[in-house]
Amino acid sequence: MRFTLALATLGRHRGRTILAILGVAVASAMLLDMVMLSSGLRASFRDLLLSRGFQLRLSPKGTLPFDTDATIGGAAAMVSTLRALPDVVAVSPVLGGQLHIPREHGVITGFALGVEPRVQGDYELLSGHDPRRPDEMVANDDLLRAAGARPGDTLTAAAGYDAQLRALAGTRRLVITGRARFLYLSAGQPAAALPLSTLQNMRGADATDAVSLIMVRLRDDAIVEAARRRIQSALPRVEVNSTSEAMARVDQRLSYFRQLSFILGAVSLVVGFLLVTTLVTVSVNERLGEIAVMRALGVSRVHVVEQVVLESGAIVLGGAVLGLALGLVTARYLNSILSSFPGLPAAIDFFLFQPRAVWAALGLLALCGVAASVYPAWRAAVHPVAGALREEAVA
Amino acid sequence: MTALVLIALLQFTTPPRTIAVDARLAAAAGLRVGDRVVVAAQPGAAGDTVVVGAILARRADPSEVTRNAYDVRMHLDQLQSLIRYGDRVDRFAVATRDSSATRVALRAINDAAFGFQAWPSREIAAQTSETFRVVSRFHRAIGVITIVASAIFLLCILLLKVEERRRDVAALRLIGLSRSTVLRSVVLEAAVVSVLGSALGVLIGWGASGLVNAYYQAFYDTPLRFSIITTGIVLFAVTLSLVLGLAAGALAALRLVRTPPLTLLGR
Amino acid sequence: MSALLATERVHREYRVGEERVRAVRGITLEIASGEHVALVGPSGCGKSSLLNLLGGIDHPTAGRVLFRGADVALMRDRALTRFRLLHIGFVFQRFYLMPALTAAENIALPMAEAGMPARERRARAMELLRYVGLDGRARHRPSQLSGGEQQRVAIARALANAPDVVLADEPTGELDARTGADIIALFQRLNADGTALVLVTHDEQLARAARRVVHMRDGVIVTSDDGQ
Repeated sequence: MRFTLALATLGRHRGRTILAILGVAVASAMLLDMVMLSSGLRASFRDLLLSRGFQLRLSPKGTLPFDTDATIGGAAAMVSTLRALPDVVAVSPVLGGQLHIPREHGVITGFALGVEPRVQGDYELLSGHDPRRPDEMVANDDLLRAAGARPGDTLTAAAGYDAQLRALAGTRRLVITGRARFLYLSAGQPAAALPLSTLQNMRGADATDAVSLIMVRLRDDAIVEAARRRIQSALPRVEVNSTSEAMARVDQRLSYFRQLSFILGAVSLVVGFLLVTTLVTVSVNERLGEIAVMRALGVSRVHVVEQVVLESGAIVLGGAVLGLALGLVTARYLNSILSSFPGLPAAIDFFLFQPRAVWAALGLLALCGVAASVYPAWRAAVHPVAGALREEAVA
Repeated sequence: MTALVLIALLQFTTPPRTIAVDARLAAAAGLRVGDRVVVAAQPGAAGDTVVVGAILARRADPSEVTRNAYDVRMHLDQLQSLIRYGDRVDRFAVATRDSSATRVALRAINDAAFGFQAWPSREIAAQTSETFRVVSRFHRAIGVITIVASAIFLLCILLLKVEERRRDVAALRLIGLSRSTVLRSVVLEAAVVSVLGSALGVLIGWGASGLVNAYYQAFYDTPLRFSIITTGIVLFAVTLSLVLGLAAGALAALRLVRTPPLTLLGR
Repeated sequence: MSALLATERVHREYRVGEERVRAVRGITLEIASGEHVALVGPSGCGKSSLLNLLGGIDHPTAGRVLFRGADVALMRDRALTRFRLLHIGFVFQRFYLMPALTAAENIALPMAEAGMPARERRARAMELLRYVGLDGRARHRPSQLSGGEQQRVAIARALANAPDVVLADEPTGELDARTGADIIALFQRLNADGTALVLVTHDEQLARAARRVVHMRDGVIVTSDDGQ
């Protein structure tokens, strides 16, 4: 009966109800987006870092991976040391550099990764096979498109320029053996992966026995921190970062978005609260006489409050459902804006739908909406019955 | 032997070269002007002894805000030698007399260049500010969403508040006041609420802007101003809220005056 | 007849702005089971205030209101509300039907509050609609009913939980003479079926239909005629 009365009352003021639902929908859409923003980037980045199972990353001292052009020297010995550790399952050394591919219309420049294909964690093979020989490479679609090449083609590639000789330096002929998707590169960046030793040779003296990054996979997530400390003290020349530390550093750089999401999320809740409070207050003020009659007929205070709260609950529920759809659409749009950050890995999403966080946020909005209606409902329920009837008669 | 002695003497008598460090590094490492430090290209490697000649204050440069890297300025030849770069640089800047000279220089450099390219500074600025353009687009999108949300809230709340006055409106109409008089009166009320609300909003915005700047300047250790309120922004916000408030009030009032008074009274 | 509802030297004062209004001044009155009483008097004499005290929707400033000997004023809100729900039926001058509900739903509202299952509610609501002669109007909303029809629905609603007494405040005040006569007849039928009635009215015809007429002026009972 209460549900029937609630819906019927809302239906009586259709325009007002629709506007209120819209208002709550916008508040819940904004709240949803901010919850997705606050947790999304973190979760997305973490998923990316752990996608290949490497929990530790070693980079030149004082830097983050590929933050600078600095390299780690004596890489071979370091990799051997790491592989000898009992907790270490896999070690993937990576060297970064540029790859210049001369074509008829000019030189295509892309990003090159020198890897050990059997343990690499930087790309996903889409077709073909990993480079098995020193003169093989895999490339992404952007590079293939730019170079007008296909898997199976042989390209001349260089690792640098010699300005004095006005010639490309470190040139090799490389066979494209497969197509790959590079996990940590930004969208549209041409890239290729070739054997580590090949790239080291191509780069010449400054890259002999050098790598940009070493990724380490441990046998157990529980020992990550202990292993990190052990390796750091054994290898003071490098920076050893666990996934959580990497995330902490990224958090710090992108803390602005978390703070923005918190502020805007809080504002959405407050505005939603105010909207519902105003709506309920006006609605019960208009119906004081009706409520007094209900009380005169024998409807208890608690049931009057329940009635009013049910009405606001229906508005909040309708608004939340609409807001969910609206929020997902706007999140996609906002994500597309932020994903165009230069240098950001294409796999990173700023807005990530995490069911538990989202339901918690919408639950909080629902709670807020209901709480917003309790006080005006209670005030109406305890309004003196005879007084209200008298006022109605006078009015 | 003599040569060796001369070299040793030279090292003793030639003062070490100077470097400049940024204020964050100076604070973190406890450096002051005149301190001697060793700079090396690799951790633990032998390097050069230098003297801190200057400490650079943080600039209000957006690109430096989230960078936690420390900056050191050295003499070019010393750095080239230290990192074994040889006779190479990463980039060089060219100042020209005027814009036509810039175009001539660009063409000449690019014709002769191998392995590098010359760009006008304006284009470099555009490329490097891509990050901020993304942030600006994001802010604009949030701004638009906020405006739409505010418009709906404003409409909703003003409609409710005007509807609360239905009995008063009915009574005024019953005693003979015309629709236009009642309409003007209700819209005037909505206008007053909008004006007061806008004024309060400007004050709150101004206060919030100050808080944002104070917080982020401390957080990122930068003199950069993150939020600036201009006359244009104030005018835009106030105009928009006034227009929305008046429109909402007028819409609600029109609904009321068009309804027969007895219907408003529930008869 | 034993007293069903009674007041003992009951007073009710209100503050209206700066003024203190003594609406009811020391009234002692007894209503027996099955009795039909009309309260008449000029406007502002305190009849409605007395009715409100009898129905437990207002509290006396002094004195007692008794229902089967129990002091209503001493009941806490929950018990008082329950008392109204199960023992009192209210009929108002302005009907006060829930505009969003149909006639049947309006009648069922007190039954739902009393915890009656939905099927029983529907059946009883139809029964009451038949009783008041409106069984064809069950699904009509108040805006679709005439004044007289609305008042009949209000009377049916008042009978929802088979109350001991129906209190009606100017039940024909908003109705034309002919419709008012129909309502009077309905009230007489109610009373004949055993329900006690206390009516506040200006309507002479309605007053004449009562077995006892209590005249009030300035908050006190002036005369009480039982027509015998």
